[in-house]
Amino acid sequence: MPAIDIEGVAMRFGDVDALKNVSLHVPEGAFVTLLGPSGCGKTTLLNIIAGFLAPSRGRVLFDRQDVTGIRPEARDTAMCFQSYALFPHLSVQDNIAFGPRQKRVPKTEVSARVGDLIRQMGLAPHAAKLPNALSGGQQQRVALARALAVAPGVVLFDEPLSNLDAKLRDQVRGEIRDLQRRVGFTAVYVTHDQAEALAMSDTVFLLNGGVIEQSGSPREIYFRPRTRFVADFIGAANLQDGAIAGGAMQTPFGPIPVDAADAARRTICWRPEVVRLSDVGALSGRVAHVAFQGGWLDLFVTAGDQTLRLQVPGTHDIPDGAEIRFDVARDAVVVLEDEPHA
Amino acid sequence: MPKAVKVALLLTPALGLVMVMMSLVIWRAVAQSFGLHNFNGEDVLSLRHWTEMLGTRRYWNALQWSAYVATTSSLITLAIAYPLALWLRKPFAGSFLLSALIKAPYFVPGLVAVFLLLNVIAYHGIVNQALMWVGLTDRPIRLQNDRNGYGLIALQVWKQLPLAFLLLQGAVQAIPDPVLNAARDLGAGSVARFRKVVLPLTARAMQAASILIFIGVAGDFTFQATVGPTRENSLATLMVQYQGVSYGDWNAAAVVGVTLMGLSLVGAVGFTALVQVATRIAERA
Repeated sequence: MPAIDIEGVAMRFGDVDALKNVSLHVPEGAFVTLLGPSGCGKTTLLNIIAGFLAPSRGRVLFDRQDVTGIRPEARDTAMCFQSYALFPHLSVQDNIAFGPRQKRVPKTEVSARVGDLIRQMGLAPHAAKLPNALSGGQQQRVALARALAVAPGVVLFDEPLSNLDAKLRDQVRGEIRDLQRRVGFTAVYVTHDQAEALAMSDTVFLLNGGVIEQSGSPREIYFRPRTRFVADFIGAANLQDGAIAGGAMQTPFGPIPVDAADAARRTICWRPEVVRLSDVGALSGRVAHVAFQGGWLDLFVTAGDQTLRLQVPGTHDIPDGAEIRFDVARDAVVVLEDEPHA
Repeated sequence: MPKAVKVALLLTPALGLVMVMMSLVIWRAVAQSFGLHNFNGEDVLSLRHWTEMLGTRRYWNALQWSAYVATTSSLITLAIAYPLALWLRKPFAGSFLLSALIKAPYFVPGLVAVFLLLNVIAYHGIVNQALMWVGLTDRPIRLQNDRNGYGLIALQVWKQLPLAFLLLQGAVQAIPDPVLNAARDLGAGSVARFRKVVLPLTARAMQAASILIFIGVAGDFTFQATVGPTRENSLATLMVQYQGVSYGDWNAAAVVGVTLMGLSLVGAVGFTALVQVATRIAERA
């Protein structure tokens, strides 16, 4: 179970910089996620860790050993591909046995490993089937079992759940995390789905334009975004630009308390669900639109030329056009580091 | 109207025509080889034409020669087309032009190809002149109508290469990159990836290519008649000799024709089995 270090990695494709001087550390046995929009460089970084791509600059280290020049087949990694990449001509059990056979594991041990994984993944009724006879979820399990069969120290996941429906995605997400804890391996997971990243990871690395925009625990990333991009990309956020004076930003809704020094113009961010409705709230606005989401209501509240999104329990009965008052706690408001929009 | 009848009626115009045309031709050849549908006299069901033909040396020579040329040409064509298809799997500078050049012979009619080859391998052709110029030989050597059929096989390979290349290129390019990367990731080096992934996934295309080439070459008349050895007959040239003005023996020609169909069938089954066995051996090695 190696720790992974990426040191100053850059990758250039023609005129395009896919990665620019990226450095990160993945502790031994951790589950980290590379999160970001399409084209941010996350899959490129994963392919560099796997060895499918050689970086233009920088190093990849496993347990402080430089593996940058080592071929993928000789690295202590196994990858779960977005398209599953199962061998279409091999049965489920032969797919799972492929890796151990390549690594010259004794036949009896190969059988034992394959048998164990087939049982663990609930694939026993499908062991003799070809991949095209399996559902998406079953294929995903085979891909996972195939990766684990070589007992890798590092498992790399390249958007493995993107082809599954929402319900199955939730289920397999839990299974992967559970398996990672049980079997024990260092996991690097690539996704563009922020909910997936928040639910599964010990640490999230949010990439944008080939650089790491912010890293931290899911709670840090969600509640303490440092930039407008992070705040906007992860979940819903209310972003407001304005002057800060006397510990508050003056807005059309009223003063929003901020834990920051006076400044002519800054951007603050707070999450819709931190709001507290109160008849004596310091902030007020008119409900322009209500969207019932089951467990909660999305309220789109306007004042002046601004609109805020508030989330309140679904048990509330608030009609369109209602005037409401609310509060936002000071510690729930973050002042972003980057410059406000002009 | 029952569904099965409706389906049969709907299929009849297309499928029926194809089946009637095919079965008529085959039936006619088989029937003539047994003395029926006779153009030269009474229809008499008999094994005479077969027994007479099986007793002639030129029949067996032609069968052996056709099998030799077809098998050799198929194997050499595959041996050239397969590495080319693998090499050109990923585009690179010039790969498009190279692919186009490989496919070019497909657009050259057989007789034109013969004319082009004669320019190259004739007694005073380009190859002989080049050999003499570099000093490898003092005088021109016989390349056209050579007794081993090397010129003939070279022409067959040149002509059949595009077909094999197209089929194999399609199969090779259809293998997704992640599948090859997965094999690599699981410890398979380049040889193991070829044996255990590429070969099994392209086996069907290889079977199809080898069968089509074998059947095409086995039944060839033009190349054999023009650049083949003068003392050898292929089944096709022998059939035309029996059928044409030399003999006018349609029944004997039918025997040769049926043999040619049989050879094609044997070749198809043989190459199917050969590719399957080779793939299995490669996978397990």
